[in-house]
Amino acid sequence: MKNGFFSLAGLRRLRVMTWKELLQLFRDTALMVFFLYSFTGDIYIAASGVSMQLKNAAIATLDGDRSDASRELLSRFQPPYFRPIGELAAARDSITLLDDAGAMAVLDIPPRFQERLQRGEQVSVQLQVDTTNSVLGFLASSYGAQIVGKYGLEAAARREGLGGMAGPVLQADTRIWYNPNQNDAWFMGISELLTVVTLFAILLPAAAMVREKERGTIEQLMVTPLSAFQILFPKVIAMTLVILGGSAIALFGILGPVFHVPMRGSLLTFFLITALYVFTTAGLGLLAATVARNLAQVGMLTVVILMPMLLLSGAWTPPEAMPDWMRILAYISPLHYFLDAAYGILLKGAGMDLLWDSVLAMATLGVCVFALGMGRFGRQFG
Amino acid sequence: MNGKRIVALAWKEWREIVRDRLFFALAFIVPTMLMLLFGFGLSLDVEHLPFAVVDYDRSAASRDYTYRFISSRYFDFKGYAGDARALDSLLADNRIRMALVIPPRFDEHLARGEPAPVQVLIDGTFPMRAQTTQGYVVAINSAVSLDNMARALSAGRGIPLDEARRRVQPVKLEVRYLYNQSVKSIWSLAPKLIMLIMMLSPPFLTALGVVREKESGSIFNIYSSTVSPGEFLLGKLAPYVFISIANAMVLWALAVWLYDAPFKGDPFFFAFATLLYVICTTGIGLVISMLVQTQVAAMIVASIVSIIPAVLYSGMLLPLTSLSPGASAIAHSLPTMYYTNIVVGSFLKGVSWSALWPDVLVLAAYAGSLFGLGYLLFSKRPKS
Repeated sequence: MKNGFFSLAGLRRLRVMTWKELLQLFRDTALMVFFLYSFTGDIYIAASGVSMQLKNAAIATLDGDRSDASRELLSRFQPPYFRPIGELAAARDSITLLDDAGAMAVLDIPPRFQERLQRGEQVSVQLQVDTTNSVLGFLASSYGAQIVGKYGLEAAARREGLGGMAGPVLQADTRIWYNPNQNDAWFMGISELLTVVTLFAILLPAAAMVREKERGTIEQLMVTPLSAFQILFPKVIAMTLVILGGSAIALFGILGPVFHVPMRGSLLTFFLITALYVFTTAGLGLLAATVARNLAQVGMLTVVILMPMLLLSGAWTPPEAMPDWMRILAYISPLHYFLDAAYGILLKGAGMDLLWDSVLAMATLGVCVFALGMGRFGRQFG
Repeated sequence: MNGKRIVALAWKEWREIVRDRLFFALAFIVPTMLMLLFGFGLSLDVEHLPFAVVDYDRSAASRDYTYRFISSRYFDFKGYAGDARALDSLLADNRIRMALVIPPRFDEHLARGEPAPVQVLIDGTFPMRAQTTQGYVVAINSAVSLDNMARALSAGRGIPLDEARRRVQPVKLEVRYLYNQSVKSIWSLAPKLIMLIMMLSPPFLTALGVVREKESGSIFNIYSSTVSPGEFLLGKLAPYVFISIANAMVLWALAVWLYDAPFKGDPFFFAFATLLYVICTTGIGLVISMLVQTQVAAMIVASIVSIIPAVLYSGMLLPLTSLSPGASAIAHSLPTMYYTNIVVGSFLKGVSWSALWPDVLVLAAYAGSLFGLGYLLFSKRPKS
């Protein structure tokens, strides 16, 4: 093992090669500027202002009754969920308004609403909802149903003399854990950080490798005493270091001070897991690099790898809602485990006692992918 | 402008793309693959939410109540937990997203006609899902409450259950879902995917295509030739616009035939607007390629610049109405929002020129200014 990996010479080579990769990276000014932007400005934009919740949905009303009862019901559609935008003159206006996306919903109260209510009949009111966005459509109708249901129950209690709400009803005390104020910035910010980490972890090593191939400098490396591993591994170390630096900037520069994302778990664990994740994902990038001949191909291959990973891992869409065959695919995506671990550490305060299975799965994937990439590389240039 | 030179350049570029087999194949495969993946996988329907129950009461009433959740298609019962402390690690480990805690004397409270407290714990990591989950829980709880009230009233007054049910629910809400009657998320999603994918792929292709010449140095042939900057840009970009148009047609066909999304609008109007949009996104790639020197940088810039606006600021996943003023300003300054209006209008609402001409106008202005910017940035006498 004179020139082996763990010998003194091996370690020195590793250091020198890693330094070479870092220098090469830092000298691409446009790339570095954008790297910094991705870990700061981009995460800021994603986390600020964007909300997946129904807020201030414009609601127009058609009041066919104009009584105290109808006005009371209408007055209950208020912010934060709804924003009343006034009354419509005729029923056909409602369709025009919804067509132009001027309103999200129209509440239609029939004539003789109060009269029939007092007489003890059951009255229907209609809510027309724009469900072009199905999630919002569902939320709007669900809040509408809550408001009308509560109003109805109170009206019934008054009429039947049940004395307020004291009946055999359920009193649910709902607690939302980990993010009690439903602050979207926490979710969006962390999700964007993970996306950016993934993008760079695939693209940087793949591009660094193919660039050497495209320019022919790989031949120079091949005639040196370096082994295939000693050529590939420093690239991964350099990229991992840079990406960890970027994550630290994002965490301590943006997510912490600006959005007050709680960091409940151990940050050391977070960075160790991030390093493991970058290593695993870099393996995917290197695998792509052994397939591609030029950088343009690497770019397209990156999209092919990145997009399904982002989608399947549950960053945007809940894994529970996917078809079964897709959920199986999620298990071979390292991002799936990284998401669990990152949200677990930052928001839930989970430690290794809960996360060990994710870490183990990620490490196994990493070793497999890396071995595959090394094997292909060795055959191409060995 | 010399038409012959433009055609020659476009032909040269086309040959180059076609000869790089993998690149050519991926240029067509990537959009279709993304459409299939997103279409089947990007479901925003919150269903099969795993949940657990801690039942301290163990009575018929509490089992009845639990059964309401078990039989709902929105929830997926994972079993009873021993006590409330066990829920901590289940929630932290993503094993469950929601938990019900039924305190002792649940049955007793209800039998006496008193309100019975229950506790609902929801994992708030994903705010949108938490909100939807809460919506489901409230709906089930109020249905149970109404049933209980009706039963109590019917027993107390000796009236039939149906009559009692009508009395406790004097106002009924009828919801009419417009444009997407069954609230299927794929219907509203598939058209918007055209917007998303046409935002991702053209800038990528274009930026790579132009920067490739810069990095390999073959652009010096152009610099030293008689080709004018305008001719170079038109000839160079024509094949990419062509590829993207072909892709847009494939995506349209997939949306209509595979996902059965209704197309109610005017096809000519839609085709015209799509052409403008593709020119816009190609223009984004052009501007990027003028600003960077290496293909790696081009890829990174193209993906960061296009993914975020397309996913977050286009109204695809997130409602534009719930954006903060700052975010709303960002959304209005990007082309994706306008094309989303056009896609949604053409597919789901069946409106065309009369309602959407301002959006088309904005897209045209975008396409014009992006190409203008690219033209200004392109110089045959580079500084370095």
